[in-house]
Amino acid sequence: MSFSSSAHEASATPGSGPAPGIGRRRFLRHGTAGAGALLAMSPLAGCSSPASASGASALSVWDLFQGGDGMLMNDMIKAVSQGPEGFRIDRTILDWGPSYYTKLAMSAAGGRASDVAVLHLSRLAGYAPGGLLDPFDLDLLAEFGVTEKDFTPAVWSRTKHQGRVYAIPLDVHPFIVFYDRKAAGQAGLLDAEGELAPMGSPKALLEAGKALADVTGKSGILFGHVTDTAQSWRQFAALYAQTGAAFTLPDGGPAEIDTDAAVQVVSFMQQLFDGRTNPNNLDYNSALAGFLGGRGGMAMLGEWELPTLQKSGIPLGAAPFPQVFGRPAVYTDSHSFVLPHQSDPDPARRREAHRYVARILKQSLTWASAGHIPAYQPVLAEPEYAALKPQSSYADAGDVAVLDPPNWFAGAASNFQNRMCQPLQSALLGNTSAEKAVRQMVREANTLLRQPNPVA
Amino acid sequence: MPTGERPLSPPPRRGSRRRGPGLLFVLPFAVPFVLFLVWPVVQGVWMSFTDSSLALRDTSFVGFDNYAEAFGDPDVWSSLGNTVLFTALSSIPLVLVALVMALLVHSGLAGQWVWRLSFFVPYLLPVTVVTLIWTWLYQPDIGLGNELLTTLGFEPVGWLSDEAVAMWSVAALTVWWTVGFNFLLYLAALQSLPTTYDEAAALDGAGAWRRLWSVTLPQLRRTTVLVSMLQILASLKVFDQIYILTKGGPNGSTRPILEYVYDVGFTGYRLGYASAVSYVFFALVIVVSLAQLRLFRQED
Repeated sequence: MSFSSSAHEASATPGSGPAPGIGRRRFLRHGTAGAGALLAMSPLAGCSSPASASGASALSVWDLFQGGDGMLMNDMIKAVSQGPEGFRIDRTILDWGPSYYTKLAMSAAGGRASDVAVLHLSRLAGYAPGGLLDPFDLDLLAEFGVTEKDFTPAVWSRTKHQGRVYAIPLDVHPFIVFYDRKAAGQAGLLDAEGELAPMGSPKALLEAGKALADVTGKSGILFGHVTDTAQSWRQFAALYAQTGAAFTLPDGGPAEIDTDAAVQVVSFMQQLFDGRTNPNNLDYNSALAGFLGGRGGMAMLGEWELPTLQKSGIPLGAAPFPQVFGRPAVYTDSHSFVLPHQSDPDPARRREAHRYVARILKQSLTWASAGHIPAYQPVLAEPEYAALKPQSSYADAGDVAVLDPPNWFAGAASNFQNRMCQPLQSALLGNTSAEKAVRQMVREANTLLRQPNPVA
Repeated sequence: MPTGERPLSPPPRRGSRRRGPGLLFVLPFAVPFVLFLVWPVVQGVWMSFTDSSLALRDTSFVGFDNYAEAFGDPDVWSSLGNTVLFTALSSIPLVLVALVMALLVHSGLAGQWVWRLSFFVPYLLPVTVVTLIWTWLYQPDIGLGNELLTTLGFEPVGWLSDEAVAMWSVAALTVWWTVGFNFLLYLAALQSLPTTYDEAAALDGAGAWRRLWSVTLPQLRRTTVLVSMLQILASLKVFDQIYILTKGGPNGSTRPILEYVYDVGFTGYRLGYASAVSYVFFALVIVVSLAQLRLFRQED
């Protein structure tokens, strides 16, 4: 996810499901011309089912789920397409990354966006205030069985802008640690139940790295950040939040960042990735390849790498990002459903969009198999979820979720993350000191804060 | 040839008649040219004076604000510097290596077609393929580059992670990738040179180096000017391989100006400001082109 997988699925329309019911077809016959134009953009539109010839148009959905995630989403869409109440979905998959958000913003600015789209919750501040999104109708969602109670407060609080809800979270996807159970056991890092024991201090994590390096004979903890535009920010943000300091970016600046805490965190990251015990020069793919090849006992990655790692046959364990400073905090983001702005939305289609979001949320167990923590809490309570290993061992991460600061320029695949990563990368590579790196981060944040807001 | 026998029309009518079909012939080029080049250039100038945003419909005129911001923006200058650095690092070897390769092939090396093919083939690869290959060559741990260095007893190099090295790595990739085109231009020029001067010099007892220096190279001068001109303009346009390879990192050390324009415009939604930055760059390109044009004239 962080690096775009090479699987290019331009579009996938579940065509194997039975034809939709008559009632819904009548419903959708009033589809707007705008949505029809979007439909035409999908190369597979119109050839999926004979129903399209009758003029009824499918609900258009945009997302950025490629590779394994993309296939799971396909399964979920297939599941909600079954039966008399089934949907006809025209799905467009776009490349993960900045270009997705360029396209989504342009389509919403033009007022002819898809009916439903996926947005990282961390990007909401760049979308809701500028009118790029339309708010959800909570009564309508409640009618379909989804209410505020179904989400954790930490995540729900980020779905709102000026009191209205603009995003319905599908998942919480934290930046966590994966470990080799065998190596961790030999290094004495497991608790009585065979799970990774809490760290509790910077020293404990440093020593865990050394112990793992002794066991593997190569490296202890693997972390890929070189030329990556998110990884080192994810790690920094998690550790910084653990210190309890605030990272606030008020409009117009200056940034309110506790530089002492930030320097403490960057120094710790430098100590951890010293280039001997734990390599400091890996890029994303080589860290992943290293962990798969047994060249390290632990890897700091997003949970979305779970399917890849599970296939490798490593005795795989997973845990929330270890707490080493004062309070627990895990860096996360959340894939959410949004209603991109349409100038002339058709009420019937909007109703269908709400129903679709509610139905997909209830398919979250499928989504969880990719490693993501379902945001829809009733799924977490199901025994099937508890049986999912190692997913259930980091399910708590959602409670201590830390997202990017809510600014228009921040969030997944943003310039902000890229700019924060650059000094951090230099510091980890030993090209600059922790103090200098933090000064540059503050400077970059101030530069972004001074810029006029292009979305409001 | 019955049409040739037709009586000539009076002069003024003939003129207008000629213009009619002429315009028709130009039209297939002129329409897309105006639509997709002239109009965007004009539109871009207008945008650079507004706060135009990718995500908002209403824009307002902001005068020279964007330009003032651009001239005071250190990122504009550093990325402009990176573009110029890349142009220097890539253009010089791209001209010299191409010349050497063309001379070697032209000198009558055995298996000519093998050389021609292998020098030119990388040029045919798409940028994504080239960067994927080189990403693996540049891998710090398992890449061929560091493998070779450590086998030979040298310290491994952070090809893409060391701020002082990354741009050189990008330039090396670019030379490997695109040198074939310049090579082809040089080879074509060499093969069309008259052999008489060379033979005369040989008869007068000039050695191979002497003939190369005083006979062949002076005759290649116009090709060199052409190749350099095309190369500098191509290098100034650098974006794709850097964007895929390093995203402008480490620490902005490889970010070219065009990536900065892309970053502020398409990732940051500030189209107005991005337009202003690109016109600052446009001015630089014009200056370089004019300078080269003068050089070209002097050659004439």
